[in-house]
Amino acid sequence: MKHRNIIKLLFCLVMVLGMNMSCSKKLDLEPRQSIDATTAIQTPEDVEAAVIGAYSVMAGGALFGTNLLMVPETQASYYPNSELYASWRGTFTGQQQIGRKTMNRNNGEAARVWTAAYLAINTANIVLDNLGVVTDADQKSQFEGEALFVRGVMHFELVRYFGLPWGATVNNDQPGVVIKTKVSKTEADAAEKLPRNKVSEVYAQVISDLTAAAAKLPDDNGTRADKFTSLAFLAKVYLQQGNYLKARDAADQVIKSDKYKMNASVRAVFDNKNTDESIFEIQQNDQNNAGTSNDGMATFFASLPGIGRGDVRISSSFVNSYNANDLRRIEWFYIGTGARPGNWYCGKWKSFSQNLPVVRIAEMYLIRAESNIRLGTVVGDTPENDLAEIRNPIRTNLPVIANPTLNQVLAERGFELAFEGFKIHEIKRLKQSFSNYTWIDNILVFPIPQIEVDATSGILIQNPGY
Amino acid sequence: MKHMYGLCTALLLLFSQVIWAQSKDVVGKVTDSKDGNLLPGVTIKQKGGTSNTVSLADGSFKLTVTANATTLIFSYVGYTEMEVAISNLMNVTMTQANKTLSEVVVVGYGTRIRREVTSSISKVTAKDFQNLPLPSFESALQGRAAGVFINQGSGKLGQGLNIRVRGISSISANQQPFVVIDGVPVVSQSLGSATENDNPLATLNPDDIESIEVLKDAASAAIYGARASNGVLLITTKSGKVGKTKVNVGYFTGWSEPTKKQKFLNATQYKELFGAAATNSGLDAAEEFEGETGTTDWNGTVNTNWADQAFQKGNISQYTVSITGGDAKTKFLVSGSWNDQKGIILGNRLDRGNGRVNLDHTVSSRIKIGLNLSLSKSRNYRVPSDNDFANPLQLNALPPLHPIYNANGKLNSATLYYNNLIDQVSGTNLATTFRSISNAYGELLITPELTFRSQVGVDFNNLQEEQFLGKETLDGAPTGQAFNNQVTAAVLTTTNTLNYRKSFGDNHVFDALGGIEFQNGKITGASVTGIGFPSNRFTKIASAAIIQGGSSTETGFAFLSYFAKANYKFKDRYLLGASFRVDGSSRFGKNNRYGTFPAVSAGWILTEENFLKNSNIISFLKLRGSYGRTGNAEIGNFSSLSLFSASAYADIAGLIATQIGVPDLSWEKTDQFDVGLDFGFFNNRLTGEVDYFNKKTKDLLLNVPLPSANGFTSITKNIGDMENKGWEVVLSGNILTGDIKWTASVNVSTYENKVTRLVIPVPPGTRTMGRLAVGQPFGQFFGLQYAGVDPANGDALYYKADKTTTNDPSEATDTIVGNPNPDFYGGFNNHFSYKGFDLDVQCQFVKGGDIYNMAGFFQSVNGDYFDNQTVDQLNYWKQAGDKTDIPQPRLYQGNGSIKSSRWVQDGSYFRIKSVNLGYNFPRKIINRFHLENARLYVAASNLLTVTKYKGYDPEVNSGFVGTLNLGHDFYTPPQARTISVGINLGF
Repeated sequence: MKHRNIIKLLFCLVMVLGMNMSCSKKLDLEPRQSIDATTAIQTPEDVEAAVIGAYSVMAGGALFGTNLLMVPETQASYYPNSELYASWRGTFTGQQQIGRKTMNRNNGEAARVWTAAYLAINTANIVLDNLGVVTDADQKSQFEGEALFVRGVMHFELVRYFGLPWGATVNNDQPGVVIKTKVSKTEADAAEKLPRNKVSEVYAQVISDLTAAAAKLPDDNGTRADKFTSLAFLAKVYLQQGNYLKARDAADQVIKSDKYKMNASVRAVFDNKNTDESIFEIQQNDQNNAGTSNDGMATFFASLPGIGRGDVRISSSFVNSYNANDLRRIEWFYIGTGARPGNWYCGKWKSFSQNLPVVRIAEMYLIRAESNIRLGTVVGDTPENDLAEIRNPIRTNLPVIANPTLNQVLAERGFELAFEGFKIHEIKRLKQSFSNYTWIDNILVFPIPQIEVDATSGILIQNPGY
Repeated sequence: MKHMYGLCTALLLLFSQVIWAQSKDVVGKVTDSKDGNLLPGVTIKQKGGTSNTVSLADGSFKLTVTANATTLIFSYVGYTEMEVAISNLMNVTMTQANKTLSEVVVVGYGTRIRREVTSSISKVTAKDFQNLPLPSFESALQGRAAGVFINQGSGKLGQGLNIRVRGISSISANQQPFVVIDGVPVVSQSLGSATENDNPLATLNPDDIESIEVLKDAASAAIYGARASNGVLLITTKSGKVGKTKVNVGYFTGWSEPTKKQKFLNATQYKELFGAAATNSGLDAAEEFEGETGTTDWNGTVNTNWADQAFQKGNISQYTVSITGGDAKTKFLVSGSWNDQKGIILGNRLDRGNGRVNLDHTVSSRIKIGLNLSLSKSRNYRVPSDNDFANPLQLNALPPLHPIYNANGKLNSATLYYNNLIDQVSGTNLATTFRSISNAYGELLITPELTFRSQVGVDFNNLQEEQFLGKETLDGAPTGQAFNNQVTAAVLTTTNTLNYRKSFGDNHVFDALGGIEFQNGKITGASVTGIGFPSNRFTKIASAAIIQGGSSTETGFAFLSYFAKANYKFKDRYLLGASFRVDGSSRFGKNNRYGTFPAVSAGWILTEENFLKNSNIISFLKLRGSYGRTGNAEIGNFSSLSLFSASAYADIAGLIATQIGVPDLSWEKTDQFDVGLDFGFFNNRLTGEVDYFNKKTKDLLLNVPLPSANGFTSITKNIGDMENKGWEVVLSGNILTGDIKWTASVNVSTYENKVTRLVIPVPPGTRTMGRLAVGQPFGQFFGLQYAGVDPANGDALYYKADKTTTNDPSEATDTIVGNPNPDFYGGFNNHFSYKGFDLDVQCQFVKGGDIYNMAGFFQSVNGDYFDNQTVDQLNYWKQAGDKTDIPQPRLYQGNGSIKSSRWVQDGSYFRIKSVNLGYNFPRKIINRFHLENARLYVAASNLLTVTKYKGYDPEVNSGFVGTLNLGHDFYTPPQARTISVGINLGF
């Protein structure tokens, strides 16, 4: 009897074990929405997907989707009254702190600009690290150029926000941002504690990346970065440094490419996609855009029925500073009818899914004109003609200015590029003051996110004033 | 052939002769000593033999025993076991045992008698919560189960609630207990897409539940291994009972209203405060109001109470039917219920239909099979997240100067913030859940001592979320928006166990169990968003002009587990227990696939010893202790891998690196020590238990911040430590035992949580207060300390590091300003009866537990912006020398508006949670209607709340701020006070 029981017991155990033995293999589950990093990039298509990934990060609300285009405007705005330019009226704490000049080291907007820009940079570095799988030489050169373009542009934006402005010290050895040119593959790479490089070093890296990108990129690359996109950014970088000669030459090269020309209507570049006027714009559609109800240019700028929060209010004195006949005044500004109605709002940003122009040919004309005047040269064309491209009577309904002065060009810049992400950089570049702030004021520089300072055990040095 | 026949007959005769010679029949009846009722289902065994039977529906039994048998053992759940000498016609009366000691307690993979339990388990039974209008069954544990802290968070129906067993045992992994229903682990975490968690357990019918056991210490929980660190809830559903078929019908209906409404400024007060605020800022109030709202309502005569618009009159009705019955071979329960609740918050509604069949059948003396089958459908019209402009409670921010309706009768949309009443007219947000939690089992008695059991359980959950927002709504504008999301979670569990139980002599009882369990869960989802609808009569995405977004997802997990446990009892007084589980999971890193979770426990029943056996005072005393390890595997399904994910740029697909992996990633581990004393005094008239526990959790999963310059913001690692220790005291007594009976039970629990290791402190967010710091409790409030108002100039003041004050917040220093964890909490439960009447009064309390009103920045900020203000703000500083806590109003200037302890308050409260007064009609009357029983009752929940908290409800935990931010209130709706009447009839 005892014996039989043992046999029964063994029988049961064998049954039970047999039923479960095959299960241990079932513990190897693979994720379905993501793929394992070790096998992620194997073909040229995978490398190209990473290139697109880098653009997708730049298109997010943390970067060109919102902050890089809006913050320069709200940072240079006034509070509580809109006074001369604009004012931030919204309730989002991070943006509100920017508008009110009360940012602190935990500001969420500063943190997301930092994080997203370096995510784009790492994505670019992944592309550069995996170029080996791309066999076609042209394709390889193009991917490399695009990656360098992204890396250069992101470092440029970072240093403009997180470092004291170019020119704040004689040798520009004030702390800038971390230069990151190495890909992170392992935990050790990702945990490396890197210090801030000097502003001068960051600019040097930016110029090197963008110059190399311009050399590697094709003349035309659809809506993605090409040679002239890189040159246009180089013009912006040189201008920010006050290097008018190089700014002029880069802008001149872009204009001479003959790829771009001003649209006949001031609305077209915002209402339509990838028009002639546009050198680089962030592609958006109904599915993929930064404009959910809590982010995106239209969300903050617009006050239309059902669109926008009406958070950026334009001062009537600024609207009135345009010539009353200027079509830009008529087309680009309106009295709100949605949120916070009855005030002036900027009509450049009206739709969630519109493309977001980042560089327009207008800016290149303005850079060339300004530089030529400052240098006393007439490279490319006269400032009068360059300005006339912008003030084209059909486009703006304005007369041409004969022999424009520097101030007239700068004023034109203000009218043309208003609320496209220029204002604070302009103030810093021209060493101007506004309200109670000088161009070199600490509060106009973003704090290094406290979490980054902590994560590097203080190797990242905080900005003065935070 | 003939030969054969003859042989057989001979053998048969011989055999029966032997039987006749060796056995005899005993017949008799079993009755209840209390009311003389016949007791069916009593197990009757021959002492020292193997024969046994069960009493029939009329209480009668017949048992064939061996000739030498002298004594029978009668046992029945809830009754004292008896040994009775065999006599001719046995009439045995059984007495209901002292409940607490003879109570059967469900434990992991089995049951035990309370008396012999060596671990710490809280139990709540059906009668504690039946007929109460519960939002979901877990809320029945609140104030009833020591060591279980429940915060329902808000008054939203179908919303997730916080259940914390013995403190907080995790930081970033799940903190909720593991839920097992009839042996099937179920999905208890939110599946929906909303910011705030839904509660998948709200689909269960509380009336189907027989008992809820909470496994609190390691000895009881470790058998569930890697998922038991937060405690385990074992839910047992009702089953059929031997006896004549009984039909029970129940109905109740009730009405509810908010436990509290808050007072905001009326038009006159509003204009006074904001008039002053504008003047003090050198502005014109009417002009500014117009600038902000685009209306001239400042000059109007409207006086709207927007705050009260958020509420509606709630009601609830429930219909239940259950049919139970069975004979010696088959027992069954069939039940159905329909519950319909209209919440107190505008638009909130939850209805639920449930059906259940529980069946047990004895195939032969060796084989038993059973089936628990349940189906439910629930529809929840949900309320938006607290943080959403569409949250009805946010209406209290609207100035009273705005009318609700325009002159044309349409809802006014020209308001400071969105008039979300528009959502009620032009929007819906419905979540429909179909769910089945079912299992089937077979049991094989291999030998009298050895049982094999195999069970297959399935938890199938299908959630459909459908939202429509018309073009007039904030988020649906300008063309209308619809969102549809379908999530299916299917979890299959197979469990095979071998159970062995044997007595050796009179002194040794040994039982052991071993088993293997495999679980596989798969969660798939698909969603689509469409915009552009011809009109609000078209609400399905088929009518959308643009498909704005769509997605399908899949995730899954698998567990393979081996477990064993053993118990040994010596001389009925020394108890030893041990358990062991090995869990393997797909979630764990490749280098760390299997985790081991052992536990040991011991108990000593002192009252069995000679020195206490005859005590008149102490009737029961048991000392017990346990130590063991449990784990927490809710670490995310694929956290250990380095991953790339898709990231689209307009129309083109892209790829980005999203996660850096840790191949060593493993479960979180909790080592828990528990010591307890169970006691009974004065013939068990006063009983109770005292427990002390110390839980040390290590390898907490934390997101270690990485310098994001390298492309990743954080990495998930096992790196934190935390501890919880505390006391639990339960005292129960039969205070009055005469005609008027009164039993009372009080329980008080504490937990002291301390984070003992972190990588770096986790600071509070921009708007929130909760933080993590070594040596400090989880979620501690950290921020500026508000120092009141400078009587000289009306400036808001804050404390600096040196304890002096400043009016410049940037000079002030962050400090500890509160603790959302309670000092102690518990319940006080009473049961009275007098003749046919019975009364239950259940109270619940929390001492300590600070609350941060995150909306203070908007609603109690002395008119800094045009949000309507709480009435206390009228007491603002007006002139030099004024002593007040409310700074001078200065429109837009931020005087006192920065996040600070200004809005931290004590959240202590005492609440009469439920009252149930019933009358049982006498038998004489109901028998005329062929009824078995009839009970009429009036019940109330949240009848009274005593608190100093100034907001809506001190039991608050806004859902959108994350688990770290405990005790945050942000336009969070209060709970409902419900009064209901009902009737139960039994046929």
